Amino acid sequence: MAVSLRESVQQVSDPRNLDASVEEVFHLMLGVNCQRTDTRVDHEPESVTSVVGFGGLLSGACVFRSGGKTALKIAACMTGMEFDEIDDTVKDGIGELCNMLAGAWKGKVPELSANCGLSVPAVITGRDYNLHVQAPEFQLHHYYAFDGEAFEVTIVCDGLQ
Amino acid sequence: MSEIRTLIVDDSSVMRKIVERALRQAGLDPLVVLEAGSGTEGIDLLKAKQVDLILSDINMPSMDGLEFLRQIRLQNLAPGVPVVMITTESSEEHVKQAIQAGAQGYIRKPFTAEQVKERVLPLIHAA
Repeated sequence: MAVSLRESVQQVSDPRNLDASVEEVFHLMLGVNCQRTDTRVDHEPESVTSVVGFGGLLSGACVFRSGGKTALKIAACMTGMEFDEIDDTVKDGIGELCNMLAGAWKGKVPELSANCGLSVPAVITGRDYNLHVQAPEFQLHHYYAFDGEAFEVTIVCDGLQ
Repeated sequence: MSEIRTLIVDDSSVMRKIVERALRQAGLDPLVVLEAGSGTEGIDLLKAKQVDLILSDINMPSMDGLEFLRQIRLQNLAPGVPVVMITTESSEEHVKQAIQAGAQGYIRKPFTAEQVKERVLPLIHAA
């Protein structure tokens, strides 16, 4: 019998799964407590965005975005090293973080975990850019905070079989 | 105790460092780490050096972790050396594929040093 995620769309799009995934990844890999916040992230002019694509029964992407200062702090927590610029190691760390967020999120729903693959992360850095997705099937867009730093995570689903 | 030569294969240099740190926290000592940024690099390293343990990511560009695992078995590189996959992919199907390809262990990212210890130490002691 063909597997479909249509019937479990409520479970797949449950916002609590994203919150639990973010909290888990930040606690285990960075050693910090991270919580969802209602406060919008005021982006610094320079920001870091990582995108991991979903393919299979669900197509879309997991997008992480933070200001440059937050990205430096995240990379420092991950590696135990100090950074003063967004170099390749920082970009690599943010890409891996997004990869783990995407993996943890899809792992919350067994049918999704088994029938949805992840792309390798892409990392974008720059100033004053916007991410636009046309008419998604569903979208989760949450803000989080840890140790005085803030970032946002978006799950965009543009196709569900 | 003689040194534990460990090959860590991951396209992310940050993840390689995190895995190395977790191995040290897990008590693998003395630890000598060899790093490869892809399956292809891992194969080349195994042709030149002996190791006691291999930890590999699955989701990598060019040669993924499962193909890397199949190649080391096919080419009889590192015979008897335990291989543990460390990956964000955690479904039963992925675990089954890794075991069928010859992995002895599986660790899901994100992980704790304690989980690494639980999965890796028994394999080191059994090898």
